[in-house]
Amino acid sequence: MAEKYLTDREIKQKNLKHRVKVHSLQLGLAFLLLGSWQYMADHNILDPFFYGRPTGVLHQLDVWVHNGTAIGSLWVNAWVTFYEATYGFIAGVVLGIIFGVFLARNKTAAEIFAPYIKVSNSIPRVVLGSIFVLWLGLGSVSKVALAFVLVFFPVFFNAFQGTREADNKLISNARLLGASKKDVLRRVIFPSALSWITASMHVSFGFALIGAIVGEFLGAQRGLGLLIATAQGNFNPNGVYAAMVLIAIMALTAEFLITKLENRLLNWRPTQVSGSDL
Amino acid sequence: MNRGSAVKFEKVSKRFRTPKGTWYQALANLDFEVEAGQFVALVGPTGCGKSTALTLLAGLEQPSIGSVSVNGKEVQDIDTSTGFVFQHDATFPWMNVYNNIAAGPKFRKLKEHDALVKSWIAKVGLTGFENNFPHQLSGGMKKRVALAQALINEPSLLLMDEPFSALDVQTRSIMTDELVALWESTRSTVLFVTHDLEEAIALADRVIVLTAGPAQVKADFTISLPRPRKARDIRFTAEFLEIYHQIWNVLKDEVDIAYQRQLVAPSGKK
Ligand SMILES: Nc1ncnc2c1ncn2[C@@H]1O[C@H](COP(=O)(O)OP(=O)(O)OP(=O)(O)O)[C@@H](O)[C@H]1O
Ligand SMILES: [Mg+2]
Repeated sequence: MAEKYLTDREIKQKNLKHRVKVHSLQLGLAFLLLGSWQYMADHNILDPFFYGRPTGVLHQLDVWVHNGTAIGSLWVNAWVTFYEATYGFIAGVVLGIIFGVFLARNKTAAEIFAPYIKVSNSIPRVVLGSIFVLWLGLGSVSKVALAFVLVFFPVFFNAFQGTREADNKLISNARLLGASKKDVLRRVIFPSALSWITASMHVSFGFALIGAIVGEFLGAQRGLGLLIATAQGNFNPNGVYAAMVLIAIMALTAEFLITKLENRLLNWRPTQVSGSDL
Repeated sequence: MNRGSAVKFEKVSKRFRTPKGTWYQALANLDFEVEAGQFVALVGPTGCGKSTALTLLAGLEQPSIGSVSVNGKEVQDIDTSTGFVFQHDATFPWMNVYNNIAAGPKFRKLKEHDALVKSWIAKVGLTGFENNFPHQLSGGMKKRVALAQALINEPSLLLMDEPFSALDVQTRSIMTDELVALWESTRSTVLFVTHDLEEAIALADRVIVLTAGPAQVKADFTISLPRPRKARDIRFTAEFLEIYHQIWNVLKDEVDIAYQRQLVAPSGKK
């Protein structure tokens, strides 16, 4: 039974202790996995020719950083993939929100577009990558386009649903208080759809990266996707893993930034089920 | 056009689709008028259609038959000179107390509204809580935000759906006195739904008793107790008790009918 309130310092210490415990267990797990991988590769239980090994991946990264890759500087290639994904992501999010909110507020338009949206959503969108490369060439535009289509639909559907779920009572209240159509959109509908929209943003940066990399796979002159394809062609599994590590770093950075943005925009919510710890 | 009547229900019926696909009649031939500046309390058994009547007046719903007019004009759409305190929480969860109360002045592009907003925050006893979001408030505090949010716009027609039901007795009597003082200074027309007969009598010029649903006017009492009234003091006077018993005698039958129906068909009627 507690007899006194915990002091702020005690609470901090308690939290710190917990965090140290979680992180050391996480690190331990990583060592265990990577260590057994390394062990199995070193003892030929896993053939390193096909499966690579952690030290090999590190060595590969080291070579790339210092000597560049077969297709030019590592940073240029990483940067190309990053901005292709980012442009596609931003375009997809913005247009997804605009279309989602618009169709949810406009019943007739929603009815007209519904079958088209269903059909275009049912096409496996990665296939479009080939078409985009044909149409838009080997440059970045075709990758941005593929990232865009991958991001657009999840954001669109969430924005649509979020707008639909906006509480009618709150809309009525705002209108009685004197809100114009624009006020209702900005001050009621948008904030209430926002938790849906940010939820879709978490998954969609991953989609944007998939779009950029698959696009590069299908035909490109630069980018991490091409790097992976080249490594695969040279039977260099360590190269494939090394590129995957870089992609993972990118995805985690974006996830971190999106979570930050989400917490700022949704600071009014009772309890934040933040994704960063998961 | 009758200049004197601020609110007019003319043979109003309203029906709703039930989840089963049948119709449910909430109002049947509801017919009454309220003079401009009058304070009217609507009482009636639960589920009889009181909230429905207010939503028609606010233009949130249209009558199925008949017409509803405010200040001589048939209600077609939401009118911003009408204030509405909803029965259920309608504060904006993403706005803090200050912004919730400032919503009306901001939407109306009122300049220099800061002092006004602060005075309302003080009136409803929320000074110090300006930065709290609704989920960080108690039920009664949220209700007070809703009150200030509606009253700050000085509506010419004020619709209040059980505005004090979530308040503790003390706050309730303070808010009642505040409301009376406010109404005496602005003389807006007020329709006030309540289940509390004492509150109805203490506040109103008129108490309209509605029948068990579909709602019709069952009886209409004029309360001629002298003003200014202090809710706390008058409830022990002989006149008060007399009118209380008169109204309760009428209301009791309707409450019984509504209760019996609930026993017969616990979920939905007909
Ligand atoms: N949108 C709706 N769809 C279907 N039925 C409805 C709808 N709104 C109200 N009703 C029905 O109309 C009847 C009257 O509802 P209303 O909310 O007006 O009652 P009330 O008199 O305010 O009750 P209370 O005192 O409990 O608040 C109820 O039986 C309710 O089920
Ligand atoms: Mg009600």
